[in-house]
Amino acid sequence: MIAFDHVGKRYRSLFGREVRALDDFSVELRAGEVFGLAGPNGAGKSTLISLLLGFLGPSEGTIRIAGLDPRRYVEAHGISYLSELVNIPPSWRAEETLKRFALLAGVAGRARDARVNDVIERMGLEEHRAKRVKQLSKGNLQRLGLAQALLTEERVVVLDEPTHGLDPVWTQRFRDVVGSLRRDDRTILIASHNLDELARLADRVAIIDHGRLQRVVDVRGTAEPAAGDRTPYRLVLARGTELLPAVFPAARSLGQSEFQLDGLTLDEVNAGLAALLAGGALVSMVYPVHSMLEQQFRDAVGVGEGSS
Amino acid sequence: MSRARAGTYALWQLRDYLKDRGLSTLIVAALSAYLGWSMLTDKVPMPRPTDAASAELLVRFGNAGAVYAARRAEFSFHFMHDTLGAMIFLGALFAMNGIVANDRKQGHFRFLFAKPVTPSRYYGQAFVVHCVGFMLVMVLLALLYGVIVWPVLTLQFLLVVGLMFVAYAGVAFLLSAAARWDWLSLVAVSVASVFLWSKFGASTHPLARLLYLLPPLHRADEVYVAVSGTPVISAAGTPAVPWPLLLWFGGYGILSYIAGLIVLRFRRLAIV
Repeated sequence: MIAFDHVGKRYRSLFGREVRALDDFSVELRAGEVFGLAGPNGAGKSTLISLLLGFLGPSEGTIRIAGLDPRRYVEAHGISYLSELVNIPPSWRAEETLKRFALLAGVAGRARDARVNDVIERMGLEEHRAKRVKQLSKGNLQRLGLAQALLTEERVVVLDEPTHGLDPVWTQRFRDVVGSLRRDDRTILIASHNLDELARLADRVAIIDHGRLQRVVDVRGTAEPAAGDRTPYRLVLARGTELLPAVFPAARSLGQSEFQLDGLTLDEVNAGLAALLAGGALVSMVYPVHSMLEQQFRDAVGVGEGSS
Repeated sequence: MSRARAGTYALWQLRDYLKDRGLSTLIVAALSAYLGWSMLTDKVPMPRPTDAASAELLVRFGNAGAVYAARRAEFSFHFMHDTLGAMIFLGALFAMNGIVANDRKQGHFRFLFAKPVTPSRYYGQAFVVHCVGFMLVMVLLALLYGVIVWPVLTLQFLLVVGLMFVAYAGVAFLLSAAARWDWLSLVAVSVASVFLWSKFGASTHPLARLLYLLPPLHRADEVYVAVSGTPVISAAGTPAVPWPLLLWFGGYGILSYIAGLIVLRFRRLAIV
């Protein structure tokens, strides 16, 4: 559905210095999948999305959406798009905003009001419909941005930091919305800093850093840690902490009977747990410090255990 | 395939113009009219029905009522001549300022052009809508002026105002499509045109032909004077509208508008 083929984007600063925002980026997004995009600040995520919508042109390589140049595709079909910063003229009212965008999205006259009312209800904006954009809180503005993206049933959905500013209730509802958007002929791209969110929503996640694709993680296929991975774990004991130094000599105490186990394989952790249980310890919790996606992210962008 | 209903969206664009720019144009036009009025009445007092008519004017116009009417027409001519050009220039500046550039600078283009609409269609239509909005404002002002001072609203007046507006607005549209600081660029182009045409317009040097790339704004007064009314006391009649010159102005504006559309067709919207 969407193909990035050796895409590069270079900027030139005022003083002639060349900045590579994106370098040799190739990936194919399939119809029917939710594709995540993760990377640190300045990694090139926003540039990639601007290229996908045709707001920027690539310096090298090609991008195709259903075989078309991005701008041609957008002008012919439209894309459901939520930008990282919800930029809507501040004097527009919430309902007016949706009516305007519905017109531009091509919603027919009779269906327009019904569609606008539907997204207002879906995004919980009923009490804010008459408010001006400048009067909306950050969370409500984000919901309005999402509402305008949901006005039409497009085959390509691009959400850039979609839960930015949303409270936990609306973050969960957003996940439900994305779930309901899944369709066999639709491709959904979500760029987010929130790896937990991507792990829950996406089928695959591309990790980019310094403008380069570091790896594509198949989230559904690698949900469990592999036996040979040496990923840190946390262990909480309800009883038997005195047994720990003998079983896990390198364990670090984090206080309140919680310990961190570093540099061990899954087999070694299990063997140690068996020894603890045999000795009479009572284990209340064992969990990996990082999700698999987070671990992959840390490996890809070179974040050590000591850094944040 | 979904297609934007851009034609219907023109009503929103007209509303935006009238609310955000038309009102400002009315206020600024009223203020500049007041300023022009004050400066003019320092030199030429506003005629009153009770003013004594000189014997010469009584002989020329027949009776005191006709003399009063002639004085008002004369006063109106000077007022219109002094203020019309500034009003059209300011009206174009207000109507076109940031028409494209503001959306690019403030990021509004992101939601707009994720929809199935082309920037050239959207902004091209906005240009036309703003022209219509400005003409509505000018008709309102001309009607008010007609009630208070002297009737000026004619088809010829509207044509001249419209074409001169298009001349400025077309340039402003092109600048807004191509640059961020469009209002400043329009002022710079206008000042440079008047200065360079006045200084080198008569030159026979081959490079002087490059002046034709700039609008002939040094001759704008020839157009304004022809629709400012008839100075029946100080002159025999009104000069005819210089249609070739006016078409040059209008054509320049339309060509600039088309160039702006071409820029929008090929230029990427994101600012990096």
